[in-house]
Amino acid sequence: MDIILGYVTTILVFFFTYNIFTLGLNIQFGYTGILNFTVITFMAIGGYVAGVLAMPKAAAGSGIYYILGLNLPWPIAALGGVLAAGLLGYLIGQIALKRLRSDYLAIVTLATGTLLYGLIGNGTSIFDGWQGLFNVPQPFAGFRTWTPLGYSIFFTIMTGVLFVLLWLFANRIYKSPLGRVMRAVRDDQDVVEAFGKNTFKVRMTAMVIGSMYVGVGGVLTIAYITALSPAGWTTGETFVVWAALLVGGRGNNFGAIVGSFLVAVVFNEATRYLPQIPAHPNLIPDIRYVLIGLAVILSVYFRPQGMFPEKKNTFLEVPLGDSSKAIEEHLAGGLSKVGEQ
Amino acid sequence: MTMISKDPSAVAKVALEVDSLKKSFGGVAAVDGASFSVEKGTITGLIGPNGAGKSTMVNLISGALSPDSGHIRLDGQEIGGLEPHEIGARGLIRTFQISREYPDMTVMENLIVSASNQGEKLFNVCFRPSVGKKRDRELVERALHTLITFGLYPLRNEYARNLSGGQKRLLELSRAVMADPKVLLLDEPMAGVNPALIEKLGEHIVELNKDLGTTFVLVEHNLEIVEKICSKVIVVALGTTLAVGTMAELRKNKAVVEAYLGGDVRERVGS
Ligand SMILES: Nc1ncnc2c1ncn2[C@@H]1O[C@H](COP(=O)(O)OP(=O)(O)OP(=O)(O)O)[C@@H](O)[C@H]1O
Ligand SMILES: [Mg+2]
Repeated sequence: MDIILGYVTTILVFFFTYNIFTLGLNIQFGYTGILNFTVITFMAIGGYVAGVLAMPKAAAGSGIYYILGLNLPWPIAALGGVLAAGLLGYLIGQIALKRLRSDYLAIVTLATGTLLYGLIGNGTSIFDGWQGLFNVPQPFAGFRTWTPLGYSIFFTIMTGVLFVLLWLFANRIYKSPLGRVMRAVRDDQDVVEAFGKNTFKVRMTAMVIGSMYVGVGGVLTIAYITALSPAGWTTGETFVVWAALLVGGRGNNFGAIVGSFLVAVVFNEATRYLPQIPAHPNLIPDIRYVLIGLAVILSVYFRPQGMFPEKKNTFLEVPLGDSSKAIEEHLAGGLSKVGEQ
Repeated sequence: MTMISKDPSAVAKVALEVDSLKKSFGGVAAVDGASFSVEKGTITGLIGPNGAGKSTMVNLISGALSPDSGHIRLDGQEIGGLEPHEIGARGLIRTFQISREYPDMTVMENLIVSASNQGEKLFNVCFRPSVGKKRDRELVERALHTLITFGLYPLRNEYARNLSGGQKRLLELSRAVMADPKVLLLDEPMAGVNPALIEKLGEHIVELNKDLGTTFVLVEHNLEIVEKICSKVIVVALGTTLAVGTMAELRKNKAVVEAYLGGDVRERVGS
């Protein structure tokens, strides 16, 4: 029983964190049309910064090196991680959103991601290079004496609550006037600009919020696994998040959830039970990538809008003042036919 | 051709002024010293042969391109080189030669999102969602009225991408109305539209001009409609202003006839 519960909690944590990544990308791409091709870098920065803020100073002579080591309480360290991810989004946005069209932006994000990957991997003194951070303190671990399972359940609930809050906030943005302008920017940036709206600011807002979302996912990832190294955030991982969003339905947060479930849970778990072939230790993860790629191809071919396409937004048309009468009069006059010709 | 008047009372009447404007692309001088002015509350035509530089002028005036030299003044204030959104926010709204709707948004959303001051701030999303909701109610009301006027009411919940070419033209104009423009700069709003709808669009423009006092600058190749609704017409050729006057006057102008109103065109216009 405990084993099953432990298994379920692990899957749930994985599912919730993936959802948070996908929501962040949805705000950037699904809402605003920003092609962020380095989603996973924001997860890494969020995770690493939260990690080094929560960890004690790197012990001299231990052969382990990392910056900061401030031993901060987890909520503050977590906030720091999220802010760091947001700051990175802001910096990339300053380079990429100001002048560049979306396809160039994609290249800039990809390049920045690769650059940071090389920098962090090789720059051993930052986050301990290729070896990465480990023994990262777990949130609220000293809060009481936890049984391992008890802690897992607690962590799952905490992650779930965070996910729900972020989901609600993402929906709130979508339905707000800001979300509407974001979608207009996605559809045609030049027109929004011509209508007197600062599209750079709108895109920057989406970029930073989305990056912070992914940062939250990163903070949770490192806290749960208690370790993070570059092997865990290769460029391929970015496209897993993209796959989740494209298969689920960009622009639709429910689609984002379904896509995360498919990609992060179903494919991950299904491939886990394939027999291991000792000579090819990478076969299983590679099969997972192949399946995900296949899902994207099938989805783009048969359901280009995703399994759950963006919903049509209608407005409450309860008339104010005399408009209902006016509408009826106009319609009686047959004017409505003009547009239908 | 009339030069820009230095009389202050005349300046107050000028909505838009273009002065020795130049813009080259590599070796091509697309706009080469154009000067003209548009009086407040008028419908002014901007005509000229293909490649004369009309769209480039529209792009310069609206900030999509920045001029190499020269001045553009809106209500007497220099706007040359400003960002497009700064110019849009000052009340000069432009449309595009090829219809550019927001394809994945409904007709209604296309209109509402085009209004100014929707409360589209992150602060409001976080702390004051009621601001947006309240403003939305007003905007829905206005958008419905506008859609009725333009005959798009039955299509209000249709995705804009599904509209016909003519309906997209109507949508562009009604969307522009939602922004309360002082000056509306229309780049060939009647291109690819059937004659009945051209008539209709012309009527809408005249009506908006009368009812709201919106100043119109109309780039158009259909000279019949230009003659019908424009009180003044500016002719451009090779990037400069060739002549200014009413269509009747321009038809007597030898340079204009040679540059643009060739025989066949004259026949079409019926002079
Ligand atoms: N981005 C650009 N790069 C290079 N040349 C350009 C560019 N934009 C316009 N041109 C050139 O500038 C000249 C003026 O073009 P413009 O589009 O302004 O003409 P137009 O008067 O609007 O013509 P039409 O009536 O066909 O729309 C043309 O010779 C065109 O080829
Ligand atoms: Mg043109």
